[in-house]
Amino acid sequence: MKQIFVIAEIFANQIRPVTWELVAAARVIEKNLPSQQSSPAIHVIVPADHPLPLAETIAQRTGMDVIGLQIPELKTEPFAKTIEEPQKGTKKHKEKGRKARWDCMWERGAPAPHGDSGSLARGSAYSGEIYISCIEQLAEELNPSHILIAHTPQGQDFAPGLAVGINAASVPAVNGIRTDEEGLIYSRPVFDNSRNLLVRPTQHRPVVLTVMPGIFKAAVGEEQKSGRLEIRDLPHQPAGYGDQRIRHRRTLKRSCENQALKEAKVIVAAGRGIKEKENLKEIFEFAQSFSSAAVGASRPLIDMKWIEYQHQVGITGATVSPRLYIACGISGSSQHLAGMKKAEFVVAINKNPEAPIFLHADLCIIEDVFEFIDVFLTKRGKSNGFYDFK
Amino acid sequence: MKILVCIKQVGDDGETNRFDVHALEEALDLKDQLQTQLSKSVVLDVVTVGPPGACKIIRRAFGMGADRGFHCVTEKPDFVSSFVTATRLAAVAQKEPYDLILTGIMSADMMAGQTGPMLAKILGLPCATSVIKTSVPSSDMTIEVERELDNGLRDCLTITMPAVLTIQAGINTPRYPKLSSMLAAGQKKIETFKELDLFPEPIQAREISIGTEYPKKTRSGRVLEGSLSDKAAEFLAFLKEKDLL
Ligand SMILES: Cc1cc2nc3c(=O)[nH]c(=O)nc-3n(C[C@H](O)[C@H](O)[C@H](O)COP(=O)(O)OP(=O)(O)OC[C@H]3O[C@@H](n4cnc5c(N)ncnc54)[C@H](O)[C@@H]3O)c2cc1C
Ligand SMILES: Nc1ncnc2c1ncn2[C@@H]1O[C@H](COP(=O)(O)O)[C@@H](O)[C@H]1O
Repeated sequence: MKQIFVIAEIFANQIRPVTWELVAAARVIEKNLPSQQSSPAIHVIVPADHPLPLAETIAQRTGMDVIGLQIPELKTEPFAKTIEEPQKGTKKHKEKGRKARWDCMWERGAPAPHGDSGSLARGSAYSGEIYISCIEQLAEELNPSHILIAHTPQGQDFAPGLAVGINAASVPAVNGIRTDEEGLIYSRPVFDNSRNLLVRPTQHRPVVLTVMPGIFKAAVGEEQKSGRLEIRDLPHQPAGYGDQRIRHRRTLKRSCENQALKEAKVIVAAGRGIKEKENLKEIFEFAQSFSSAAVGASRPLIDMKWIEYQHQVGITGATVSPRLYIACGISGSSQHLAGMKKAEFVVAINKNPEAPIFLHADLCIIEDVFEFIDVFLTKRGKSNGFYDFK
Repeated sequence: MKILVCIKQVGDDGETNRFDVHALEEALDLKDQLQTQLSKSVVLDVVTVGPPGACKIIRRAFGMGADRGFHCVTEKPDFVSSFVTATRLAAVAQKEPYDLILTGIMSADMMAGQTGPMLAKILGLPCATSVIKTSVPSSDMTIEVERELDNGLRDCLTITMPAVLTIQAGINTPRYPKLSSMLAAGQKKIETFKELDLFPEPIQAREISIGTEYPKKTRSGRVLEGSLSDKAAEFLAFLKEKDLL
């Protein structure tokens, strides 16, 4: 019988919510498989040093069968009391005038903390090498037709190697699943998110899919019947297993909070379309014309050191939910959208009518962003006595 | 020490993929530091798989400071499976003992983020993705890196070389190619490989593309019409109506 594997995403000994979305995606695949295939069984795979409690939760909440892979090498780290570690940049990377502040969350070999260590008591327990070799082994035995992995920094790290290892097809960043007469088709973003590519795996191979978070509706609750549970010690230690070539030293967390962005009623966000750092001034002026607005930015502006990280919106920045989000010269990448799609209203100002941001906006303003802001500010000044632009 | 950087030509104007420029900068930076601080000699090569015109980005890489360039010449298809690209890159990478192979975190056109980790697996090397910081390897054996996770987290790893790293933007500020080096680069020879030299049997793609479509709208997308002034007026009216000013 063919199987569908869902690889649970475990971080700091917790089940990350994207796992429920993967289960939902697996159900879509199961439903869409051609009927002559005997109906597959979905198995959720949980790699951890002590998978039992995690596996139990998943079996209860999804009703799916769960295989816990007990891997002692993933043993979570003792965690050092949260300490601050200023980053020592080399001379070239030194950020002028401001230092990123980092909290050290887990450190290999650090002394165990005293007393209650809270929710952070266990380490990240992720290792690409170990994940790949253990899942390869299980796949060899159970021969799954589909393996679903989250399209997250963790999933993206091991999925491609796993696909090569088991001679599978590989489809990353899946944002849609459907079928035609010939079978399943996956869609995924390409060309700076302006198109979706429709991909079909060639026949007779397993398929490794990384599924974009936020697409498939997590369908969980207490199921009537808990799934079956199996905990496995892998019998054969795969090659390279003992002497890991990638050793985890510690995990750091940025200590700064993006409080202003989280509280703002309006966010005026700038993207690469503003062209030059100096032009940020105009974005700030635009923001000041609202009674409560903060300035956000797409990631390239932070990467180019035009503005601090605290302003970054997106999957690797802040997730915001203002009443109004004004995207200025932002193309609308999925990584950016992930951070701002909860806004009540989205207005996009972009000179390219094809920019994908317009698909995700309530109001579309197809103009040069600065020409528009100038005209707007003049009008706003005239229409409203109290706002003095100068 | 030998470093290989995989660079890809993307977009209508055939520029180097943005993330690959960061990968190349990181390699140049490591090379500078290894040479000045540890007096180690470093050879820095770039490789691209692509149509004949892709040699343009190798010249640009020479301008930035790459020593040698390899070009695996292919046709220009609409869609290339990452596995096929990684297999081709592996064939070139295997010609020399590289200590470090860098790729971008993803290509702007395919947005797969797969080629680096696949290349690593084909070559049997360890791989870390989304690298946002590297330290100069002080021994020949290991390199310390930080990789970016979500929620503002980073993992600090020690990796035994040879290894593959995929480089995230924000790790550095790329230098501009020097005009003088660009001119000198004009004389430099790019070593080209034909598909058939490397692979007498065609590589089987594991996925095929059956077309593209526009992403679905998630909001109403009302387009403001008229002159700039009309649009500004309508926007202002919208803000007033929703009490957003
Ligand atoms: C792992 C990973 C994580 C990432 N995390 C994030 C994240 O958290 N947040 C984030 O934002 N990105 C993130 N990115 C980057 C993301 O993929 C995109 O590259 C980025 O969001 C693009 O930023 P942009 O829209 O500002 O730039 P571009 O895509 O270059 O878009 C610029 C836009 O400006 C328009 N424009 C140009 N000139 C004008 C003008 N004069 N007037 C009006 N419009 C103009 C153009 O038409 C274009 O649409 C991440 C990428 C990766 C790989
Ligand atoms: N045709 C290619 N030639 C050289 N390097 C490539 C090619 N395609 C992808 N890469 C490398 O692999 C990275 C990830 O690409 P992708 O998997 O397509 O998102 C890119 O940033 C490049 O460094």
